[in-house]
Amino acid sequence: MGSFNWLWLLPFLPLAGSVCAATMHFGTLRARKEGNTGTRLSSIAGLIACGVMAAALALSLYAFIQLAGNREVTALESSSWAWIDAGSFSVELSMVVDRLSSVMLLVITGVGFLIHIYSIGYMKGDPGYAKFFAYLNLFVFAMLMLVLSSSLLGMFVGWEGVGLCSYLLIGFWHEKGWPAEAGQKAFVFNRVGDACFLLGSFLLIAIFDTLDLSDIANSVQANIGANSRLMALAALLLFGGACGKSAQFPLFTWLPDAMAGPTPVSALIHAATMVTAGVYLLLRLNPLYAAAPTVLFIIGCVGALTALIGASTALMQRDIKKVLAYSTVSQLGYMFLGIATGAWSAALFHLVTHAFFKGLLFLGSGSVIHGMRDEQDMYKMGGLRRHMPRTYITFLAGAAALSGIPLTSGFFSKDEILAHTFLHGGLYWPLWIVGIFSAILTAFYTWRMVALTFFGDERFDANKIRPHESPATMTLPLSILAVLALAGGLLNLPALHIPGEQALRDWISPVTAAGDAILYAGAQAHHPSLWLELVLLALGSAIALVFAHKGFHGFKNGWQHDDAMRSKRPELVGFLEHAWMVDSTYAAKIVAPLRLASYVIATLVDQMLIDGMVNGAGRLAMKSGSKLRSVVDGSVMSYALWMGAGASILTVVWTCF
Amino acid sequence: MADTLFYILAAGTLACGMGVVTARMPLFSVLSLLGSLFCLSAIYLLSGFQFLAATQLLVYAGAIMVLFLFVIMLLNLGDEAELQGHLGFSLSGKKGLIAGATALSLGLVGVVGAGYSTPFVANPAYERGVDDLNALATVLFSRYALPFEAASLLLLATMIGVITLAKRQRTTDAGAHPQSAPPSTDGETAA
Amino acid sequence: MMNVPTEHILTLSALLFATGVLGFLIRRNVIIVLASIELMLNAANLTFLAASRHWSQTHLAADGVNIMQGPIFSLFVILVAAAEAAVGLALVIAFYRLKQTVALDALTELKD
Repeated sequence: MGSFNWLWLLPFLPLAGSVCAATMHFGTLRARKEGNTGTRLSSIAGLIACGVMAAALALSLYAFIQLAGNREVTALESSSWAWIDAGSFSVELSMVVDRLSSVMLLVITGVGFLIHIYSIGYMKGDPGYAKFFAYLNLFVFAMLMLVLSSSLLGMFVGWEGVGLCSYLLIGFWHEKGWPAEAGQKAFVFNRVGDACFLLGSFLLIAIFDTLDLSDIANSVQANIGANSRLMALAALLLFGGACGKSAQFPLFTWLPDAMAGPTPVSALIHAATMVTAGVYLLLRLNPLYAAAPTVLFIIGCVGALTALIGASTALMQRDIKKVLAYSTVSQLGYMFLGIATGAWSAALFHLVTHAFFKGLLFLGSGSVIHGMRDEQDMYKMGGLRRHMPRTYITFLAGAAALSGIPLTSGFFSKDEILAHTFLHGGLYWPLWIVGIFSAILTAFYTWRMVALTFFGDERFDANKIRPHESPATMTLPLSILAVLALAGGLLNLPALHIPGEQALRDWISPVTAAGDAILYAGAQAHHPSLWLELVLLALGSAIALVFAHKGFHGFKNGWQHDDAMRSKRPELVGFLEHAWMVDSTYAAKIVAPLRLASYVIATLVDQMLIDGMVNGAGRLAMKSGSKLRSVVDGSVMSYALWMGAGASILTVVWTCF
Repeated sequence: MADTLFYILAAGTLACGMGVVTARMPLFSVLSLLGSLFCLSAIYLLSGFQFLAATQLLVYAGAIMVLFLFVIMLLNLGDEAELQGHLGFSLSGKKGLIAGATALSLGLVGVVGAGYSTPFVANPAYERGVDDLNALATVLFSRYALPFEAASLLLLATMIGVITLAKRQRTTDAGAHPQSAPPSTDGETAA
Repeated sequence: MMNVPTEHILTLSALLFATGVLGFLIRRNVIIVLASIELMLNAANLTFLAASRHWSQTHLAADGVNIMQGPIFSLFVILVAAAEAAVGLALVIAFYRLKQTVALDALTELKD
């Protein structure tokens, strides 16, 4: 323990890269003022950012190899700094890589590296090119702090850091106006969650007198009984924090708006990494949740409901990125459903495969948008498969994984979560049905999106827009992610009574052992019988294939199907298009009363009471000031004298009493 | 023996301290500060802080004192005639009284607060010095690594600050005597 | 090592501090004022070290008080003192260039 100080490099390399890129940005601004373009400085910033990510990826791989090479070692830990040291309570900060965080590390640095390369092509020519990479690297720094910190406080620093970067990057094109508003919305929603996170942390301090994550995880068992209720409350509050960050009902509406940012940002932050931070938090504290079955059920309900809302809303969207955003909301719901059933490894599995295929889909949509000159409306696309063959093929791979076409990565991970929900039985039965229904919707909207974008007539003005394939810096990451999205299932193939197949589950078992011990309390974890597993897999395949087919054929010739729905059930369509009216409910039930209250406070309390006090204080100061004026003669020496005299009086007073 | 030496050194420290305050010329004041610090470093050594004693000598005598003397010589402050008007205990009666009372009360509080007088029993475990270099370094680079790094930032900021102070002075000089300023290419004189 | 009671070292420290305060308050020459500040900082250092030495006594060392805190704090104080002296003297030079004197009562800019 304590000898792995190179782990500090992992977060701080991207930070250094961010500082370099920021310097380049200021250099570019200066060059522009002098009449140069400054493009060369900017492109250096892009290269530095990518190089730093490559280094971070190499370090992550090295950490992974260290862990995999010696199964006895469960965690690499750097030496720790005392951050807060107050009496019996202290917070130490160190970097820890264990089985769970090594998986997260590889996802963050791996997918992050690909997205950095993609951004070189995507952001080319943007005036804020260097600034973009500065923000992106800063985000990676914060995300790695979140994942690697040994204590909840360090995690919170990363948690806030990713929120800040998300805000900065959503509003990256703030001159347009609405991205800035979307950024503010994301920030405010996250703040609600962060307040819950903080309260939960305070409660954890009260219960365990520590914020060290592994200490908390290890001492849950001993506190069951005496502190069960408090622990459940803390778990619920932390889940509230996760709701904000991971866009769960009722705090999910910021994520679709967050699509105002550049597409690589949507891929990296709002699909692959940041929004999964909530899942990571819950996995890290799995014993805490295992000890609170009621909270687990609440999480399950929220997850299933979010999955349903996201999937059903994605059905009627016209904007390709909005479809993917609601789809992300829905897939995150699945992850929380997985956690709720105690299927820790299944949730992590879905997190990883989702990072692959949703990152791919976002990057693919970015490639489409890039080729279509910033057009995002699918009704104005169509027939793009002829113009952008590589984007088309890789997009198909991502869509197959998202909709759960058999043998792709998404098929295995989603089915594992649903299988666990099914096995759990009891109250989880309705959740399973909701999950299956959402899977139906998922297959449908995914292939609707594919059909509208790549098939049918070309519904754009071919004279104005000439769709073209994106450069190699963009298609290469797409190809790599496509392979991962198709083959990612190999990480954790279903058990099927073949020994040694559930690689990921075995891999993180040291981390989840404490949670499992509490959850099953000595009893054997329920494993599905072979035929049941086969039946569930077959059901999943059938659903995916049938509804993918339906979605594809309904839309391969245009959007007539949507129009038909609109004329048949206008209210339902309106309800779905606006994400179950959650935002307008907020506007009516929360924002409007708050406005009223703040108006009252502004006129009554602020203008009359507080302003009166402030003005009174001002008048008092003016009057007394004119009396005391003679003391302040402007000489430094007499100031020093009065300061010294005051200090000595205070000292005498403190000593005497 | 060592005890007697301590009291002698303490007297030396205080005498030199008074020398700092009462010296007419800044040069003598700084030299007696050097004496005071030297006595203190000997006291550190006697109390079992070898590393701190060495640091005290190196940093104060080696760096800070040289800096003081350098400034005195640079500004030619040794010239008594030039300083005639500004020296002495310059506060008028009432303010001087307040200053004296302040210093006296602070000193008294300290002395009374110190209380009297329990015997000191040295711990044989620390025979090689309380600030044994191994132990000190271990603590400094692990538990106090963060303040250590912050200190490096402080020194960097100091360096930049001192350079800026010196540099800004030069440009104001150039502004005060535009005819003597070299033909400048930067924007400051042009503006 | 000497066996002087801790209280005597603390007394020395208090007297040294008072000397420094006196010099800081009554002298006009900026350089002497800075020298007095150094005296005060050293008095504080002496207190830290006296405390550290006190807790290293045989019957107290087992208390788990971190004896290294004294030397570490002193080290940082010396560091800050060095930085302070550098900045202070740079200010003196700037001050001298501006006013052609080092007398503190020439500094009356705060009046306006």
